[in-house]
Amino acid sequence: MYDAPNLAESQVTQDNIKISARNVQVFYADTHAIKDVDVDILDKTVTAFIGPSGCGKSTFLRCINRMNDTIDICKVQGDIMLDGQDIYDKRVDPVQLRAKVGMVFQKPNPFPKSIYDNVAYGPRIHGLARTKADLDEIVEKSLRRAALWNEAKDRLDQPGTGLSGGQQQRLCIARAVATAPEVLLMDEPCSALDPIATAQVEELIDELRQEFSVVIVTHSMQQAARVSQKTAFFHLGHLVEYGETGQIFTNPEDERTESYITGRIG
Amino acid sequence: MTDVTPNAGGNRAGNSLATQDARTKRRNRAEARFKAYGLTAILVGIFFLVVLAVSIIRSGSPAFTRTVVDVEFALSQAQINEAEEQLFKTAAYAAFFTDALKRQIDESGMEVAVDEDAIERIIGKPGSTIREFFQANPDRIGTPVTFELAASSRVDGYFNGRVTRESMQDSRFLMAGDLDLVDALAEAGVIRSSINWTFITGADSGVDNPGAAGIGASVVGSFFMMLVVLVLSLPIGVAASIYLEEFAPRNRFTDLIEVNISNLAAVPSIVFGILGLAIFIQFAHLPQSAPLVGGLVLTLMTLPTIIISTRASLRAVPPSIRDAALGVGASKMQSVFHHVLPLAMPGILTGTIIGLAQALGETAPLLLIGMVGFVARGYPDGIVSGFMDPNSAMPAQIYTWAARADASFYEKAWGGIIVLLVFLLTMNIIAIILRRRFERRW
Repeated sequence: MYDAPNLAESQVTQDNIKISARNVQVFYADTHAIKDVDVDILDKTVTAFIGPSGCGKSTFLRCINRMNDTIDICKVQGDIMLDGQDIYDKRVDPVQLRAKVGMVFQKPNPFPKSIYDNVAYGPRIHGLARTKADLDEIVEKSLRRAALWNEAKDRLDQPGTGLSGGQQQRLCIARAVATAPEVLLMDEPCSALDPIATAQVEELIDELRQEFSVVIVTHSMQQAARVSQKTAFFHLGHLVEYGETGQIFTNPEDERTESYITGRIG
Repeated sequence: MTDVTPNAGGNRAGNSLATQDARTKRRNRAEARFKAYGLTAILVGIFFLVVLAVSIIRSGSPAFTRTVVDVEFALSQAQINEAEEQLFKTAAYAAFFTDALKRQIDESGMEVAVDEDAIERIIGKPGSTIREFFQANPDRIGTPVTFELAASSRVDGYFNGRVTRESMQDSRFLMAGDLDLVDALAEAGVIRSSINWTFITGADSGVDNPGAAGIGASVVGSFFMMLVVLVLSLPIGVAASIYLEEFAPRNRFTDLIEVNISNLAAVPSIVFGILGLAIFIQFAHLPQSAPLVGGLVLTLMTLPTIIISTRASLRAVPPSIRDAALGVGASKMQSVFHHVLPLAMPGILTGTIIGLAQALGETAPLLLIGMVGFVARGYPDGIVSGFMDPNSAMPAQIYTWAARADASFYEKAWGGIIVLLVFLLTMNIIAIILRRRFERRW
């Protein structure tokens, strides 16, 4: 009885659709990489994309902030709506979109600048801070959110590339968070990290869920099960199954999902 | 699994790790051989470098000294008026000089046969120098003036060891007997060796006066040319490379451009000279022998080098940096200028300076656009409107000297090479320093 109102509230927020994709096709020259993908990604939820290598999960992730625009031979068809607005509309500037949809990459890629400048870069180019004090505050908040503040506060002027791998990845998360995005895309953020750093980043993802819609691509099914509420299984460019994470891992509807989860394909 | 017996290694069984088997020995020998080849190659290279450096310095260093004759005398206004009335004015001034020198020799109490022809053979024709001095400084008339006059090239050679009594042949330039006079004058301190500042600061001289020739004017010419090359080729080259590497779509047209740039880098420099002659001088009517034209031609030559090295260093910047910038919402241009370009900077600077160094040493195109012009005016007069004034450049000047008959000019050519090499070395050292300073790891 005591939990009931809470449950109802979370139900409401979860029904808030943040991104909706309809009939998305992606081509790399002649290769049809993504076929007829329909998916609704909810706000304030962690959605995991799983699937064997080359199944198109990263490609689909990169469609959501139009990073695929940088690849000449890549063509995207279909509709991807962010808050009901088509992001592939001609009038949409991908640069503006990417400020709203942040991204963390597979390999930690801090700029070869100081830790402070790494985090401050986004706010600076988007004009989010009026004064130095504002900027300092954004940097501190972002680093705190990325659980890096305690380790980095005394060495903000040292190069971000001098941090350890796990710290670098958290710095990249802080950098992505600093531009105040609404959606955070993570492309295998833990693949280059050791188990301890992975655990830290996973904890972080769970916290980020309070404010952002997080989409994470992962090869580790345990990770998907640990951090996500929704899971989508991709196979050979198709979205095979999409549903509650618990449902997917315990009682998948599709045979292929079951084969992948039990380790028979992939 | 089951058919692998513990001793399946056969020939390996029983061998201790401390002894090498035949295969390992062969491999180690091959490696040692390869190391020896490499070391030999490097030693051969160093040997030739040392031979080159020693021969350049040995042949070129005499250019930095010169043999001068110090003569002190005063001319009155009356004497000058008298000389100005003569038909051969400089000969009249030379006579004053000869008289003064004779007097100086008499005063020192030396017993040497002095005749006017011998003095002329040793010192040349100093008349015009003296006349010009008094015309330029009329207030010095009537007061004693010490003239430091360059000795003739043979005497200079005698001091440098190029001319010896054994190799000496009587000629209209210098008699063996004149050397006695030279020795005596040297003993009296009238003839001495001094550092040849004229060579470093002066302009080229006439073919019969190697003592007065200097490389300074052509250093200035080269400097103006390099300025033109730097100002034009760096921005154009870097902008072209950034566009091609970061913005341009990959299609047939850009492929064609790429192939053409690579081809241009391999075009012989004389072809650029012909192009410069046809376009800049005959079509655009820019002045001949001007550093501006030379700079334009060398810019054409340097551009492909700069573009190729800039593109290579842009390509060497990891794509993850571009992704990172785009991922936080930077525009393409912001990602290039904030992140990619700073990382590519050391490579770009190195490429640019290597391109400039190449251009600095280029001779062939300059021959075609007339930058071998003899510059009678010494700098600093030439410095003022340097871009359009006729001038020479260092390598062209060296070429000119090397082609002249007087052996003394040959020395100057070697000396010029030393000056050129000093500039090239300086530029390369700057390139290394800039590289170190801008280099950042990621």
